[in-house]
Amino acid sequence: MKRRPLTEDWLAVLLGLLLFGLALASAAGADLLGWAVSAKVWTKLAASLAPVSARYAALPGWASLLATYAFLLVLLSCGAALMGAPVRRFAAAFTAVFWAGYACWLIGHWAYLAATPDRQAALGIRWSLNLTPEAGYIVALAAGLALGNLKPGVAAALQEAVRPELYVKTAIVLLGGALGATAADQARLAASLMFQGLCAISAAYLIFWSVAYYVARQWFGFSREWAAPLASGISVCGVSAAIATGAAIRARPVVPVVVSSLVVIFAVIELLVLPFVAQTFLYAEPMVAGAWMGLAVKTDGAAIASGAIADALIRAKAEALLGVRYQPDWITGACAMVKVFIDAFIGVWAFVLAWIWTTRIEPRPGETASARTIWERFPKFVLGYATTFLFVLALASGWPALVPAVKAAMAEAGVFRSLFFVLTFFCIGLVSHFGRLREEGIGRLALVYVVCLFGFIVWVALAIAWIFFAGVRPPVMAA
Amino acid sequence: MNNDPKLLEELRTARREPLAPVEKALIRWSLGLGLTLTALLAWLSRAVAS
Repeated sequence: MKRRPLTEDWLAVLLGLLLFGLALASAAGADLLGWAVSAKVWTKLAASLAPVSARYAALPGWASLLATYAFLLVLLSCGAALMGAPVRRFAAAFTAVFWAGYACWLIGHWAYLAATPDRQAALGIRWSLNLTPEAGYIVALAAGLALGNLKPGVAAALQEAVRPELYVKTAIVLLGGALGATAADQARLAASLMFQGLCAISAAYLIFWSVAYYVARQWFGFSREWAAPLASGISVCGVSAAIATGAAIRARPVVPVVVSSLVVIFAVIELLVLPFVAQTFLYAEPMVAGAWMGLAVKTDGAAIASGAIADALIRAKAEALLGVRYQPDWITGACAMVKVFIDAFIGVWAFVLAWIWTTRIEPRPGETASARTIWERFPKFVLGYATTFLFVLALASGWPALVPAVKAAMAEAGVFRSLFFVLTFFCIGLVSHFGRLREEGIGRLALVYVVCLFGFIVWVALAIAWIFFAGVRPPVMAA
Repeated sequence: MNNDPKLLEELRTARREPLAPVEKALIRWSLGLGLTLTALLAWLSRAVAS
């Protein structure tokens, strides 16, 4: 019997757990990933690369980078084979995507872009844009957007490795471990995150969806077939929700595809705008900003990317203006927690809609909703995130003496998380085609999106994030 | 993205269908339940925090 190819979702779980396990081995004394390359803020490019672990200090930076590339190439090519993708084409495309992405990452570490004020003197510079090293994400997104929109042929040639969902889901599985390590001694923060996650479900599926559906149907006169996937795309979690809803209500396949294209485009617009708005107005309320990104920005990739940019921008501004050095990843973590909770319910929502449509709205003889839909639509990477988060939380809570070693291990995993984020940013840019908004007929769909997103969802999301996180701060870094 | 001219024409000229009573009920119940749950969770979150 022929084996079914692995889905991207399951592959992300496998890759994330494998990297998590390899990194965690260092807590037991076996440093298996310490050779991975870590970039430093630089004024001289030659000194910008080094292995992440001091145990591998003898390894030159360029060798560490080559080893990291080769490791990821082998790992992801095996993944491509498991997915039934053409491995040679994947490997060639991944090589181009990796080096383009890493070049952007390095540019983002240039001192004049990245250095925070406290580092300027040490780096021998008088000014910088203070964007932190995560400026690399913005550079990668800009490069991807430029390539995808100006040279669509190049983007098409790389399509085998242009898999933003795979990269971001793998990064989210790794993020679970990092968050678990820091949550162990921050119980109140962890509890707030859980409540915010639960609230995100009711906000996204019940409040946002019903308003978006009403606006699409009543104000813009769209049919049910268009309004339901559009409402899910705008309010829940972008592409996967639009596709799940389309299938649930038996819409023609083209409907969720068109909606998904809009979702991706608007997610990029949000990604380019909201983190900077958050930095300007919410630098004193970092966790509000993180939760806001998770609730307001659609698609997993763009949401987590927004969280990561907001994380960097807000920490830099809080340090410059308030003199507070927040621990990294908490803002991204708040964003990811919200997104993961929302994602986990896509299957349930698809089941509910399928049941309502088949029994009440468009009943068809012999068609009923199956509870199997819930499992089929369940995003499996959520299991990977929950596993790493709970495992590290349990480990750190049960054996507090292990916390420093576990945190160091998660820092090694963080190298790969950053790389997967960079690849995500670059690929999101590659697949976002703004020219499509000009097509006749799409404009009205886009208008529903604009009205719902910027007239309602962004503000309600901000209010909910504020209710749950106002006054809650990330832990401060030791001097 | 599908560039089918028929699809774009359909989007441009689609006739308005009024909301069916079951759709109105779906919207009302979703919104009501969503607001109630959000208020409840906000209260619980504060209670746990204090």
